[in-house]
Amino acid sequence: MTAEAWKIVFFTIEVSALSTLLILPIGIAVAWLIARRDWPGKAVVETVAMLPLFVPPVATGLLLLMFFGRRGPLGSVLQRGLGIEIVFTWRAVVLACAVMSFPLLVRTAQSAFQEVNTRFEDVARTLGANEWRVFGTISLPLAMRGIVAGAVLAFARAMGEFGATAVVAGMIPRKTMTISLSIYQNVQLGRDSAALPLLFVSVVIVFITVLCGQIISMCKHPR
Amino acid sequence: MKTRIFSLLFSVLIAASSSAAELTVHAAASLTDALKEIGAAYEKESRDKVQFNFGASSMLARQIEEGAPADLFFSADEAKMDALEKKNLLLPGTRRSLLSNLLVIVVPADASSAPKSAADLAKPEFKKIALAEPATVPVGIYAREYLQKLGLWDAVKEKIVPTENVRGTLAAVESGNVDTGIVYKTDSLISQKIKIAVEISAAEGPNISYPVAVLKASKQPERATKFAEYLAGPKARSIFAKFGFIVTR
Amino acid sequence: MSLRLHGVRVPLARFSLEIDAIFDRPIAGIFGPSGAGKTSLLDVIAGLRRPVTGTMQLDDTVLFDPSARLDLPPRLRRIGYVPQDLALFPHLNVRANLLYGYRRSTPENELITLGHVAEVMEIAPLLERSVTTLSGGEQQRVALARAILSTPLLLLLDEPMSNLDSRLKQRLIPFLLRIRDEFHIPLIYVTHDAAELTALCDEVIMLESGRLTERGSPADVLP
Repeated sequence: MTAEAWKIVFFTIEVSALSTLLILPIGIAVAWLIARRDWPGKAVVETVAMLPLFVPPVATGLLLLMFFGRRGPLGSVLQRGLGIEIVFTWRAVVLACAVMSFPLLVRTAQSAFQEVNTRFEDVARTLGANEWRVFGTISLPLAMRGIVAGAVLAFARAMGEFGATAVVAGMIPRKTMTISLSIYQNVQLGRDSAALPLLFVSVVIVFITVLCGQIISMCKHPR
Repeated sequence: MKTRIFSLLFSVLIAASSSAAELTVHAAASLTDALKEIGAAYEKESRDKVQFNFGASSMLARQIEEGAPADLFFSADEAKMDALEKKNLLLPGTRRSLLSNLLVIVVPADASSAPKSAADLAKPEFKKIALAEPATVPVGIYAREYLQKLGLWDAVKEKIVPTENVRGTLAAVESGNVDTGIVYKTDSLISQKIKIAVEISAAEGPNISYPVAVLKASKQPERATKFAEYLAGPKARSIFAKFGFIVTR
Repeated sequence: MSLRLHGVRVPLARFSLEIDAIFDRPIAGIFGPSGAGKTSLLDVIAGLRRPVTGTMQLDDTVLFDPSARLDLPPRLRRIGYVPQDLALFPHLNVRANLLYGYRRSTPENELITLGHVAEVMEIAPLLERSVTTLSGGEQQRVALARAILSTPLLLLLDEPMSNLDSRLKQRLIPFLLRIRDEFHIPLIYVTHDAAELTALCDEVIMLESGRLTERGSPADVLP
């Protein structure tokens, strides 16, 4: 493993962690809304939240490119208003990872909320708690194990993200090169032997991550 | 009666054996539009169909090495063809260099600023420069070697956004997501959404050469050779010239 | 204290709950077989479930009146609720459970402090324990104490003794009487066990297939 390869590994870990942190608040909120509330259009929102799991990743990447590109509706606002460029920068990598791992977080957190007995929440209400307090002191702590497991899954997914990232961030050395993109590029250039150490490291990292997630979600909460 | 049936069968067999064949040509992405037109013209004249597989010459060469079935290879640089020749994958005597091209620096059609020379690429206002992978794709190698010769490569290389082939570079510039890009002049002529900022003359620029050859693994070497000769012929040359290629003698 | 329900209707699985009643005794019992709608009735009174029609009023406060678009949320009703499964918060210790709904005692009821309630319910030594390590009887008393400490105007008890054997049942009865005598909180007590009602209630109402049929003293009403 060269120094360059280690830099790629750390970059990938950083963007994956950042993207997971970014989707946590929205993911938890969406998961709770799906688990505990009904409203018109709920089925549509649920479907949209799950889409990145089923749509071909490069198609998702293309959609992101269209929205966040310099001429896209969101990209042009960000560029003109705040001077921030998304596509072909590390921000696009974070964006792609966030979008692709979002459904995993939502799905897992949603299950976690659904498993919380509504009786706890009801009793809390009779004891005078408003909805925010019920969420913060009852629903969230009791669902925390599942939420953490979801975050771990999201992180693992982000570590392995390739298709959408390739389209919206490109494979720019030292700027957007993740482990998966680097392995792909090495294979493309016929440098299979350079790809192998990265492949090994990425498998080890993801294995440890998913194992932790499994352990966390399998510990039964004392009830 | 028997002879009549026999001769009928015989002529059907003859017709079957001289029926239309399908040739597979792996060709550099920059040749896309010109070769499609040439292929259509060829299909009218002979009865052979020509199937093209366009892409970066580096990727195509790799596919041929790995055994992808093809009859001809039309590369954007001599190096890729040399590599195949060394591996004994070419049909001897069929290799010839047909075309040359020029490099241009392009910007989106609505760009407010554009480089006036290659040296301008180093300026901070051009933050992203699209270029086909400079390590392997011919146009990327040509551009890199040219910029290295001018001593500009170190200043510019951090701004490079690598694309898969020259048409990917074109698309990136058209989308406006990069500030500028380097493509062949022939590619710039195809698109309305970009404009040429700098043309690198043949004298200053790299020596660009497009060779074609029949592959040894071809199952129809005579027909493939026939097509290769057609590519060097007058009709094809006029089409290449129309698209802006420099046709070499 | 008077709780008035007029024309309250709640559709259930096999029939509708239709209630017209006034509850104004210190300990009122509702007697009915399982499936008669007892828990649903308590849910409606506590505000955890919404009737389709009817009005509800507790003393001078209107709890529910569709014509005035009034549906007071549970946290504002000051009605305590001890559900059948107790719903002690598993992630909080006994003290935190007890204090969850704690409101400083009112002048009328300055006896409702953590120390005094814990003493009366005999749970003072358990304060730092985890609720999951408590025995059945201890959990009952903690659940009752938690509800008391929210200084409710009315306390609803859903089958409080269903998980206890007859010895523990006997032991719990004095504590319930203390709630009436020490803290002066009126109770509505729901059960299918006639013996409990005879020991505790001033008045018993029969609930059959969603309707309140008979009403009177335990001796008169119970079979």
